[in-house]
Amino acid sequence: MRKFLRSDQHVRPLGLLAVCIIVLALADWGQGRFLSAATAFSTFEIFATIGPVALGLGLTMMIREFDLSVIGMFSMAGCIAVITGADSPWIGLALALAAGLAGGLAQGFIIVRLRLGSVGVTLGGLLVFTGIAAVLTENRSLPYDNMQLALALKTPLAGVLSIRSVVALAIFAITAFIMAATRVGRDVIAIGSDRRAAMIAGVDVDGLMIGIFAFSSVCAALSGVLVSYSLASASVTAVSVIIVPAAAAAILGGVSLSGGTGRPLGIGVGVLVLAVLSTGFNAIGAPPYVNDIAMGAILLTVAILDGPYLMRRLSGLRRRAVRH
Amino acid sequence: MSEPVARWRKRLAVPATPKSWRQLVFDARNPLPVIRATVMIGLAVLALTTPGFLSRPSISSLLTTVSFIGCVAAGMTLITLSGNIMSFSLGAIVGATAMIFTASVNWGGLAFGFAAALAAGALLNAAQGFVIGWAGANPIVVSIAALSLVYGAIEAVGADGTIYAQAGVSYGLFKGEIAGIPFEFVMFLCVTAIGQLILFLTIFGRNLYMVGGSLRAAEAVGVRTWRTISGAYLWAGMFSALAGIMLAIRYDSASMDFGVGYEYEAIAAVLVGGTVVKGGEGSVVRTLAGALIIAIIQVVLLLKGLRQEWQYLLAGLLVLAVVVLQTRGAGE
Repeated sequence: MRKFLRSDQHVRPLGLLAVCIIVLALADWGQGRFLSAATAFSTFEIFATIGPVALGLGLTMMIREFDLSVIGMFSMAGCIAVITGADSPWIGLALALAAGLAGGLAQGFIIVRLRLGSVGVTLGGLLVFTGIAAVLTENRSLPYDNMQLALALKTPLAGVLSIRSVVALAIFAITAFIMAATRVGRDVIAIGSDRRAAMIAGVDVDGLMIGIFAFSSVCAALSGVLVSYSLASASVTAVSVIIVPAAAAAILGGVSLSGGTGRPLGIGVGVLVLAVLSTGFNAIGAPPYVNDIAMGAILLTVAILDGPYLMRRLSGLRRRAVRH
Repeated sequence: MSEPVARWRKRLAVPATPKSWRQLVFDARNPLPVIRATVMIGLAVLALTTPGFLSRPSISSLLTTVSFIGCVAAGMTLITLSGNIMSFSLGAIVGATAMIFTASVNWGGLAFGFAAALAAGALLNAAQGFVIGWAGANPIVVSIAALSLVYGAIEAVGADGTIYAQAGVSYGLFKGEIAGIPFEFVMFLCVTAIGQLILFLTIFGRNLYMVGGSLRAAEAVGVRTWRTISGAYLWAGMFSALAGIMLAIRYDSASMDFGVGYEYEAIAAVLVGGTVVKGGEGSVVRTLAGALIIAIIQVVLLLKGLRQEWQYLLAGLLVLAVVVLQTRGAGE
């Protein structure tokens, strides 16, 4: 059991996903509420919202940093897209992604050049981005008058997917390919494992770190734009709505908080676990708080199991118990 | 010159070359004091020249609003000092304790309400501190998990709306002013004093600075770091519970909306006050200053006719600037 939970981080997410699906299917017991195309569709919709954010956040966690600003970027990009994309959604998308790129590069640059902790800097980024979003929306919900686009984004493709989820899946596939097949992937893991060793070995640590913060911001921006377009409105998102599942998904997907481990596909499966849980609870008629509690409990459990002192403390306790 | 005299001269000579006046006024390696002074003076001039700033209602509402966030910020200071950056669950704890307070007062009276809310805040937060200190769990993730759990739990017990104080309940002297100062601000000053005394006069306080400065070093000299970290979170929970109680008293009701966003305003006050993000350096009094600075800026902006949203943006820029400047000032 402990081996399953701790060491085999690439099997853990898949096992968890299977367990979740089986348990929910059993809870539904053949009434067809859970194992249906509609549930699968909404699962992938949630995947499309959380997935890219979790991927960006997860990559920053792999290099032992933490990008808090993703939530702010998610809101700000949605607002920018809705305001500037009134005539053409492509212009809105482009400007929002450009803002994401600029914000991410700026934060990465500050972190790398001034040797600052990422949590502090991205906390500042989060507050600035949220502030810009609040100024842009005047703290209201901005409508977006392009219902056609909203409908097009929500039309099912192949039964269970939509344009939004296809985009999200594509990002995961591309990132997974880059991480598995190119030098960048190995360099990222090297930075997360031992930054100094990676630098001595000739890895462009600074450049890659800036790149990862830029990637994380762009991912959050893209997800924010697509969500705003499909809802046909933009507003300042409540913080907990995105960051809780995104962080949980990254951790469930095998990204260690101490850096150096994790795979994009693992994060993807982690997102799927959370999405399945959320739609599954909904489908079998559980009250909404069950999802909050389940998500919090999972996050807390994994955070504790991931704690670097846990094993030492437990063995200390055991030794003391033996002595008495 | 005889040899012994030369030797004595050498021994007595003050090694440091006297600082040039330039260095005394502006030390390029540590620009923080100068920036701090400039900002303070500029802010004071700006505030005093803004018509309406010194009016009684303006001052009174400033002191009241700053107190709710200030109490949370005082608690957040302890968490930041302990090296755990910030907690995302303090806002949820404010809302939860406000609800627990109102419900308990309705059920068992004022004293019971205070006890229940303070105990709940302390417990909820100390549990997080324990997990963080004992197992080394990541503080950000633990607090995010706690946020989710607290919201879920409050909803689960069937209180997802607003609870109102019963008709018979009277908060008496807790509502209103003490010698012309809003009750909330008096509480905030008390919280600041308690926090500062804990930090400067107790062993726990000294350990907290040590743990925040270097966890390993603290452990090496025999500090039980998990106790210190749990303690920091426990006090933070109590201070946040006080904020929840004051909100519940002021509005004669409570809901989970009360604490939304408080953790961000609190960490802004902590950082603007000059407590270092990495921990180990700072104080609760500095946070008081930080909270007041942000509140004064907000009032001035409001009086100048800027919409509220600009305050968020300005607070964000301020935090970013402070974070960037801090580590520059600390030097390599």
